[in-house]
Amino acid sequence: MMNSSAPIIHIQSLAKSYFRETLEIPVLQGLDLDIPPGGFYALMGPSGSGKTTLLNLIAGIDRPTGGLLEVCGSNLNQLDDDELASWRNENVGFIFQNYNLIPVLNAFENIELPLLLTPLSRAQRKEKVEEALTLVNLMDRRENYPRQLSGGQEQRVAIARAIVGNPKLLVADEPTGALDAKNADEILEMMKRLNEEFGKTILMVTHDPKAANCARHQVHLEKGILDKTVEVNR
Amino acid sequence: MKFLHLVWKSLMRSKRRTFLILCTLLLSVFLITILQSLLATLDSISNKPTEGNRFVVRHKSGLTQFLPMSYGDYLRQQPEVVAVAHQQWFGGYYQDPKNFFANFALDESTMFVVYSDRLMGLTDAEIKEFQRDGKGCIVGQILADKYGWKVGDTIPLSGTIFPINPRLTVRGIFKGRMASEENTLYFHYKLLEEGVPFMKGKTGSFWVKTKTSDDIPRLANRIDTHFANSPVETLSEAENAFYLTFVKMLGNISAIIHGVTIAVLIAITIVTVGTMSMAIKERTTEIAILRAMGFSSTRVLILLMAEGLLLVTLGGALGIGLARLVAKILREVLGSSLIFLQDFHLANSTIVLCMGMALVIGFISTIIPALTATRKSIVEGLRAL
Repeated sequence: MMNSSAPIIHIQSLAKSYFRETLEIPVLQGLDLDIPPGGFYALMGPSGSGKTTLLNLIAGIDRPTGGLLEVCGSNLNQLDDDELASWRNENVGFIFQNYNLIPVLNAFENIELPLLLTPLSRAQRKEKVEEALTLVNLMDRRENYPRQLSGGQEQRVAIARAIVGNPKLLVADEPTGALDAKNADEILEMMKRLNEEFGKTILMVTHDPKAANCARHQVHLEKGILDKTVEVNR
Repeated sequence: MKFLHLVWKSLMRSKRRTFLILCTLLLSVFLITILQSLLATLDSISNKPTEGNRFVVRHKSGLTQFLPMSYGDYLRQQPEVVAVAHQQWFGGYYQDPKNFFANFALDESTMFVVYSDRLMGLTDAEIKEFQRDGKGCIVGQILADKYGWKVGDTIPLSGTIFPINPRLTVRGIFKGRMASEENTLYFHYKLLEEGVPFMKGKTGSFWVKTKTSDDIPRLANRIDTHFANSPVETLSEAENAFYLTFVKMLGNISAIIHGVTIAVLIAITIVTVGTMSMAIKERTTEIAILRAMGFSSTRVLILLMAEGLLLVTLGGALGIGLARLVAKILREVLGSSLIFLQDFHLANSTIVLCMGMALVIGFISTIIPALTATRKSIVEGLRAL
């Protein structure tokens, strides 16, 4: 059980290397980071600095090669693949740069996907999906397929899908990278709201200083090493 | 059940591709089902239920040659023999050449002893009436139902081999063991002999009933030895061997059918493997997203397998449905000219075999790309965009 004052993400000496045949390519080295529950952190740094790798490790879709990684009260190194999948379903919501909606499912069905893994009844799932749709102001587009939605609307559906299971942690990889300025602003506002009103912990990879300024903290990575953490004055 | 919708939607992702592969599966299963059923029907001819103590004596040179009727006297003199019936294929049709069915001129005095197992359901009075009336005939139940014949009706038969057109009176309607037996008409042999001068004192074959089945090999050998080196030599053979003669006329059909079945199976497997591989590969990112959301590799694998198996089950079921329809049409349209097709049907074992083959193809074609897709790391899958 997680202590409420304990960090939701606790990282110690985290390392990650990729291997090309016998060649080891270190991406993250000896990284220490604590993120409290309800934090909104922007991961920044140049390309190849390891920010997406760090995000993937924290989200439990990749495995570190060394160090301690505790997220939402679980030591991810100790979970097998099936346990990790179940853990992701309960604790993490994903927001991708390219939205990554399933094209053959409409907005409602896309949002419902994570709930199919829960024991919720059909009526309960419907209720939760409609709550999420209302939150992202897309109730009127519930029957629309991704190809019938604008980029901004697709990303809002993706956000609804990320939050429908009420995860503690939202991870976003360049969530505004494919959007125009107006839609990007809307998405950032929505993320701020999720953080402030709903207490979601958000970890966001971004190159965009404007997006990074929406976060409360900015974590700068440089060549796989934590360079600095800066508090943002909003 | 809540995942069925997801499976169905994924299957319908590319409707044209799904339709085309469904058609390919449908036609393949249809073809295999029809061919295997044909083989089973032909096999059933040689494995026809027979009375163990009956055999046939015919001309050694072939079925189109005749035996002297006097040979029957020798056969009847043998101590093992219970009864002998001479019989000739008449080959007539009813009203129109399309209405073709099996019809024989047969020794009316002994036929009910020799064929006691295949002429059933007749009362003693009906048998007596048939034997009394030289222009009488008995017809099988299926045939009577087909043309609406009743006892007392007159049936004009037009000869195709022999130049006579007998008008026969139905004296009884019998039941047989198989559809082909009930699609048959028998009339008095004398009518053929009297109407066709060159058939006087001749017959196509003798059907001999013995006291026990053990008598047959010895007796058959004795008969053939007796007539050996005579102008008309005989060939005595068991009933099934006699039926097999007709199957052999079609050549080595069994090898051809098995060959075609294997070729179709290989072709459909290659096509399905290619299609499923492509269908799964283009969803690499989607699969990674599902797994990121919490779908385990096993669950994704099951969903992909369900998709492949649903596709082949649909294709297989439609193929078998079409085969059933075609079998019915073949029975009705060609059954009158190709007698063995009257027994043509899809056996349950053939249906199970063909559905099984379809499912194995579905399994093989899906498991490899599905395993490859689900073993790929999520990060790698997300990068595949």
